[in-house]
Amino acid sequence: MELKSRHYAASDTAEAMELCYAKGWTDGFPVVPPTEERIGAMLAAAGLDPDQQVAFIENRQVSVTAEKIAINAVLAGCKPEYMPVIVAAVEALADPLYGYHGPATSTGGSAVFMLVNGPIARELDMNCGDNLFGPGWRANATIGRAVRLIMRNTIGTLPGVLDRSSLGHAGKYTFCIAENEAESPWPPLHVERGFKREQNAVTIMAALAPHQFSNGLSSTPEGVLTTACANMRICAGTARQPQYVLVFAGEHMAIMAKAGWTRDDVQRYCFEHTKISVAELKRINLKDGAVGPEDDTAMQSLVQTPPDFLVIAAGGRAGVQSAYIPGWGSKSGSQSVTKEIRRP
Amino acid sequence: MTIQIFDPTIEAKGRHIAYAPRPKSLAGLRIGLVDNSKHNSDQLLLRIAGLLERDYGAKAHVMRRKRSAGVPPSPEIIDEFKAGCDIVVAGVGD
Repeated sequence: MELKSRHYAASDTAEAMELCYAKGWTDGFPVVPPTEERIGAMLAAAGLDPDQQVAFIENRQVSVTAEKIAINAVLAGCKPEYMPVIVAAVEALADPLYGYHGPATSTGGSAVFMLVNGPIARELDMNCGDNLFGPGWRANATIGRAVRLIMRNTIGTLPGVLDRSSLGHAGKYTFCIAENEAESPWPPLHVERGFKREQNAVTIMAALAPHQFSNGLSSTPEGVLTTACANMRICAGTARQPQYVLVFAGEHMAIMAKAGWTRDDVQRYCFEHTKISVAELKRINLKDGAVGPEDDTAMQSLVQTPPDFLVIAAGGRAGVQSAYIPGWGSKSGSQSVTKEIRRP
Repeated sequence: MTIQIFDPTIEAKGRHIAYAPRPKSLAGLRIGLVDNSKHNSDQLLLRIAGLLERDYGAKAHVMRRKRSAGVPPSPEIIDEFKAGCDIVVAGVGD
């Protein structure tokens, strides 16, 4: 294995970590020094040669090689067995449907939300339960971090330069979860999208921060979703009609299961009950122009179609909290993409 | 013991981009306007076209809208501009 990247000498680990800061390679947190041995282990775990192109980012005219992915995965603190997940996520970033340039550069400030499905999530001890979007699990913390470091270091998506987010959010450090496939009332999302249950897949979506909502009063899907829809109705991400992830945690998930509501039922209910009048959009300055006579009855849906709600089960068993995650921009600019995770 | 660490960045490769030749005059030329779909971008572009026609003698303009600000114009728009326009104005920001 011959690495082509330029390399630098440091006298010890502490100096190597400081050198990484000095070179501008970190997200602000300390990184693991990318040595040849560690990089080699990453490449071996994915069965890739260093100079193999994994993705070509058309807008940036950037070829992302396995070597650069491996170096960034080491920096992020990944174990070698995480590498195939990162490779699949980078393939997804380059998919024209994802449309890298828009979400990566926009003042709208999206992160790359990542959902890992399939047996690999359990094997890597990925969190799909308590403290879902919080800290505590190495795979969740470092896989998402690696993808962001690749965007920064290899695709040049530097804050204030190419990444012009006005605000950004904490998901830009890492925003990676697994689905609670064991307890979900629904087929895993990747199965919904054409993969087999035993296959591994990662879904990415350009996303704003998760919004939590609480409902401890209802024992029916309609009751829980009424709260969800009321919260979502005026929340349109940074434009109109992006995709949304709906994350149902323990008690709300159990309510859906008990009532026998399918994913399709949830999507249709939310599609109908998040519609908002053009008049209201104009009144709250989300749509241009004066309120006209027809505007009170002209309804606009939050998403283009019911499947644009990506309904998943994840989060802690206890509690009456669930969440929705608005996508960035609109569906015409960026869509969620699912890629198979391939292991050698 | 010295540690060797490897660079995660890529070095930009020099690439030659051939710009279209600039016209010496706009007199009689047809203008293509790329509306990037952002709010008021169409108004700004029409203003620009008006100035180019009034002050520099451009002949006419046509405006086409991209489906999203973050993507290139569709091949249909590019083909239409190639066939029917002499200059194109693009690059409207926020």
